[in-house]
Amino acid sequence: MTIHATIKAASETSPFRSPENMSAIGLIARKEAGEIIVSHRGRAWLLAMVGVLSGFSLLLVGSTELSLLDNAQVVYDMAGIVIALGALLALVVGSDAFAGEHERGSLTPLLLAPVSRHGILAGKIGGQMVAWAVMFILSLPYLWAVGSTGQNLFGAILGLALFGTPVVLAFGLFSMGLGARLGSVRATMMTMLVVLLLAASPLLIGPSLRQSTLGSWFDAVNPFSHAVNALDAMIIDSLGVAAQSIHLVAILAWLFFALAYAVRQTNRLVR
Amino acid sequence: MTTHSSKGCSALFAGLLLVATGALPAVAETSTISIAISPATANVASPQMGDRLAFNTVIRNTGDKSIDGLIAWISLVQIDQGKEQPIDLEDWSAHKAISRASLKPGETISTQWPMRLIQSGHYRVVISAVSREGSSLTPSPFADFVVRSKPVVESSRVLPVALGLPLLIGMSFIGWRRRGRDAG
Repeated sequence: MTIHATIKAASETSPFRSPENMSAIGLIARKEAGEIIVSHRGRAWLLAMVGVLSGFSLLLVGSTELSLLDNAQVVYDMAGIVIALGALLALVVGSDAFAGEHERGSLTPLLLAPVSRHGILAGKIGGQMVAWAVMFILSLPYLWAVGSTGQNLFGAILGLALFGTPVVLAFGLFSMGLGARLGSVRATMMTMLVVLLLAASPLLIGPSLRQSTLGSWFDAVNPFSHAVNALDAMIIDSLGVAAQSIHLVAILAWLFFALAYAVRQTNRLVR
Repeated sequence: MTTHSSKGCSALFAGLLLVATGALPAVAETSTISIAISPATANVASPQMGDRLAFNTVIRNTGDKSIDGLIAWISLVQIDQGKEQPIDLEDWSAHKAISRASLKPGETISTQWPMRLIQSGHYRVVISAVSREGSSLTPSPFADFVVRSKPVVESSRVLPVALGLPLLIGMSFIGWRRRGRDAG
């Protein structure tokens, strides 16, 4: 059954007061999440993700050089990798959200379905959130496994949820918006991959990034930097979450900007 | 026997060479610097990687003249069998040397040398001092310590997760496909 037919059927049978839109959003979200989590392709992605986390964990066990790291540093690294993988997932799924529908020829039926464009976007965001939630849950055993001393493990999980979630969603929304504008999965994905590579550079470069003026500017505007700096403060420096409000504000500002961009581009979609 | 005579020949040759070139070996004068070293009282009895240790030194001018341009520094060597090597203190300590323009007779300099233990093993720390006028180096007695290893991540926790989770998802993936094929 095509998504258009599914939505139409749901809108005809829904018992809710505003049945068409609400149940259609839910259906789109379920379909999107199902494609990522339940389908073969989705499972392959999940398998690859846990493979990366497993590989990193095993490297930490096997490498004597890495044993110079503090345990909190290891937890911080793991949390950073989870955010990067989450952003990658959101980027791929977001690139496919509208551009993929366009390339497959299913965008017009979707836009003709009895659901608003905001509803379609909300459904796609819902699917991404479910996928991120699954990824987040799968990362918890890894955080527990490498956090052997238990130092700030709760802080890591809280930081990942609080700062990782908006960063991941922002990447997903930007990808959706760009995909809606470009109408090409490949072009959207390539562009967003370059952006992600740049944004996630603090994971590789670390605090030395802030030593130059350009680096500190980049650090100040990059949502990824804000997320990893907040994690650094919470996990390694044992600072409270309240002290990270500036990072949260910056990340939320990016999230709203990304949402506004995705809404604008979705509204401009032509049938 | 052969070895001994060979060594003797080498020493004789080296001596002849030095005399021939006019570069006679310098003989160390009796130093007027004394260095006493002791572990800090706060040091843990059995340190492990990541712990911090400190050593206290007292450098004294035992002579009757001032010592000018005094420099003292810390050296660390690993003495495990097969791993004997000097250690680059880059990661171990930020406090690597002290200097003093002049040290009067009888005057002392008390210094604490903190360090962070980076790798496990048997180590020997020594403080050395030289002065501008002196002709030889003055070392402190050795201070030995052992660093226990500390695994940052516990394999007993990591292995079940790192191997189990991909296996679980992989098996569910295969099971899902098989069920789909049977249903089809």
